[in-house]
Amino acid sequence: MTSLETARDLLREFPVVDGHNDLPWALREQVRYDIAARDIAADQSAHLHTDIPRLRAGGVGAQFWSVYVRSDYAGDQAVSATLEQIDCVRQLLARHPADLRPALTAADMEAARAEGRIASLMGAEGGHSIAESLATLRALYALGVRYMTLTHNDNIAWADSATDEPGVGGLSAFGREVVREMNREGMLVDLSHVAATTMRDALDTTAAPVIFSHSSSRAVCDHPRNIPDDVLERLPANGGVAMVTFVPKFVLQAAVDWTAAADENMRAHGFHHLDTTAEAMKVHRAFEESNPRPVATVATVADHLDHMREVAGIDHLGIGGDYDGTAFTPEGLNDVTGYPNLIAELLDRGWSRTDLAKLTWRNAVRVLGAAEDVARDLQATRGPSNATLAELDA
Amino acid sequence: MAELKYDAGAEGGATDDLPAPVIGEHPGPAREPAAADLLARARALLDAHPVADGHSGLSRALRPLSWFDLELGESAVDTDVPRLREGRVGALFWALHLPDGMTGDRAVGATLDQLDLVRTVVRAHPDGLRLAGAPGPVTDVRHSGRTAVLPGPAAAVALGDSLGILRCLHGLGLRALTLTGVSWAGETGLTRFGEEVLREMNRLGVLADLSGAGPDTVRRACAVSKAPVLCTRSAARALRPHPANLPDDLLTALGAAKGLCMVPLTAEQTGPSVRDVADHLDHVRALAGADCVGLSGTYDTGSAHPQDLADVSGYPRLVAELLRRDWSETDIAQLTWGNVQRVLREADFAAREAQRRRAPSTATITDLDG
Repeated sequence: MTSLETARDLLREFPVVDGHNDLPWALREQVRYDIAARDIAADQSAHLHTDIPRLRAGGVGAQFWSVYVRSDYAGDQAVSATLEQIDCVRQLLARHPADLRPALTAADMEAARAEGRIASLMGAEGGHSIAESLATLRALYALGVRYMTLTHNDNIAWADSATDEPGVGGLSAFGREVVREMNREGMLVDLSHVAATTMRDALDTTAAPVIFSHSSSRAVCDHPRNIPDDVLERLPANGGVAMVTFVPKFVLQAAVDWTAAADENMRAHGFHHLDTTAEAMKVHRAFEESNPRPVATVATVADHLDHMREVAGIDHLGIGGDYDGTAFTPEGLNDVTGYPNLIAELLDRGWSRTDLAKLTWRNAVRVLGAAEDVARDLQATRGPSNATLAELDA
Repeated sequence: MAELKYDAGAEGGATDDLPAPVIGEHPGPAREPAAADLLARARALLDAHPVADGHSGLSRALRPLSWFDLELGESAVDTDVPRLREGRVGALFWALHLPDGMTGDRAVGATLDQLDLVRTVVRAHPDGLRLAGAPGPVTDVRHSGRTAVLPGPAAAVALGDSLGILRCLHGLGLRALTLTGVSWAGETGLTRFGEEVLREMNRLGVLADLSGAGPDTVRRACAVSKAPVLCTRSAARALRPHPANLPDDLLTALGAAKGLCMVPLTAEQTGPSVRDVADHLDHVRALAGADCVGLSGTYDTGSAHPQDLADVSGYPRLVAELLRRDWSETDIAQLTWGNVQRVLREADFAAREAQRRRAPSTATITDLDG
C-alpha cells in the first residue's frame, strides 16, 4: 500500500474532525443563503472549497461549521448576523440529513462516525457575536454553538486580538467571566485569533480544556495568528487541542512577508485587505502577476505538526483547515479533499496509526466530552451568570 | 346613603328587619352558600379545565429583582407557583417585553436576553413550571401538576426583519409574535414581506398575535394565515374604548376565521370589577363565538387589575361570576383551556402541512418590499 492508500484507509476508521470551515459565510456572501443555488450535494469546486462529495473524498467525519460574522459589525448587528449564520447551518443540516448529522456532544460525534455521516457542529468566531451579553452567549449555546473564538481580527472590549494593538492586555474581568460562563455551559473556549496575552489569561481562568480551532506554530512561522511555544507547553496540563491550520499566509514565512506586501497594495488601492469582491480580487491578481506568490505545501503544514507535537504532545493536536475562509491554500491541500495528503506525509515521517487517529479524530472528540463533564459539575454548583461588562470592567 | 340602604333592602338583606326573622334569615344563609357554592363549582371546573393565560409580563417584572423565589411565593410580583396553583393556571404565554422604541438589531439582542430569562426562571422552578410549546406537551405538563410556559409573544421588531432570525427564535422556544410596530406590519396592513413572515410563522408553528395591530393587518392576517390567529390581550371596544380592544366588526371577523380573542383582566381595558370582565366575555362570546374567546391575565405588566382579580390566583372568582351568568360548563371549559388547545393543535397541524409543501423561506425584506 502506498502512504496515500494507508492514509485513506486510516481515515475510514478515524476520519478528520476539522475545527473551522467558513462555508456559511461563503454562502451568505455568494448567494445570500440561497442554499439551493450552491447545492453542496453536487460538485461546487468552481465556487467553494467545500461540498459533500469532496468532504467524503477528504475523509472528513466531523466539521465545526463557523458561524463567523465580520468583526466590524457593531454591537447587536453582530448578534443578528450570527443568528442568520446559525440558521444557514441548520438549513444545510435539514437539507442533507443523509450526509450531515447535527451534533451537540461527543456522543453525537461518535454516533455520526458509526453511521457514516459527517457530524456537524457550530463554532462562533469572535466574542463580538455575543455583544457583551452572557444571555446571548447562552442563546448561542442553546442553538447548538459549541465553541466561541474569543476574538476575531480586532480587539473587543473584553479581550485582545492577535492582530490588533494591545488593549485590555489579555482578558478583562468580564472576559474572564465569559470564559467561566462558557465552562458552565459546556461551550469550548477557542483561542485562535487571540493575542498571546489572552491565551495565557484564558488558560489561567478556564476549568475546561481549550481549543485552537485553526492555528499553527509561532516558532515555525512567526505570525501573530500562530501559537507561541510557552502556550503550547501548557496544553498537556489543560487537556486542550491545537488544531493546525493550512492558511499559507500563517504557515509559510515567505507567504507571511508576501501577504504583508499584498495587503499594503490593497490598502493603497482603497480596499480592505480581506475584501474578496470581484474588484478587490482583480487588484490582488494584478499584484500577484508581478510578485509570484510563495506556495506552501503539505510539508509546510507537517513541519508545524512535527514541532507542535514535540512541544504539546500527541494528545493535544488536531486539524482546522479554514476552508472557504481563506483565498489561498497550500499545494496538495487545495480544498477539503486534501486531508489524506497530509496524513500520507505524516505517515512518511513516521507517525503511527495510533498517533494519527488521535490527530484526526480522538483528541477533538475527547475535548468536547471533557467540556461537557466540566459543565455538568459547574451547573451543580452555580447558576447562570448575568454579570455585565459595566459591572466588572468599570 | 338612602339609595344604598334602599338597595340593600331591595335585595332582602335589611338587617334591622327584626319583625320578619324568618324571611330575613332565608336570603342571608341561602345567599352565602350560593356564592360559596359557585366558587366551589368554579374550582372544580378549573381543576378539570385549567386556565391557559394569554399574557404574562413576568419577565419584565422579574428583571429588576436581584433575588426572587417563585416556588415559595414572591410578593414583589403578581405571579408565583403557589398562586398559579390557587388560580388553576395550567399554561401561561410569557411575553418577551422590550423597552418602548427599541428597534433593529438592539431588539434582537434584547429578545435573546428575555428568552434566556424565561428559560433560566423556568429551569430554576422545575416543580412548578416547565417549558412547552406543542399541544401534547402542554397537556402533559398540566397533568403533572405544573404550569406550562409558552415563550411569547415577542414584538415583531425582535426579528430584525430576518426570517433566519425568526427561525432561530423559534428554535429557542418562541411560540407567538405580535405583528405590529414594524414597516411590514403597520397601519396599512401587511406588506409582501409581512405576508411572507406570516407564512414562515405558519411553517414553524409560531402563532400570530394581533393585539394592537391595525384593522387592515388583522383582516389580512386572518385571510393569509393557515393557522388560527390570536389577540393575546384584546377586549371589546364597544364596551371600553381602548386602542387594543377590538371593534365589533373585527370580533366577528376573528370569529369567522376561528381565531382567538383573549380578554385581558386589566382595569384599563376591561374595567374595575369582575362583572366588567364578565361583560366583555359575554360580548366577545356573542360576536366571535364560544370557540373564539379566551383569557389573558396580563399580570406583571404594570397594569391595574379589577378588584378581586389582583393576581393569578383570582381566576376561580371570575369563573364563579360566569357560572352565575349561566355560562354552560362546556363554554367555560373552552374559554379557560379548550380554545387555546384547539389553536395550538391547529397551528401544529398547519406547520406540519406547510413543512411538507414549503422549504424555509430565504426571502429578504429588500427582495419583497424594495
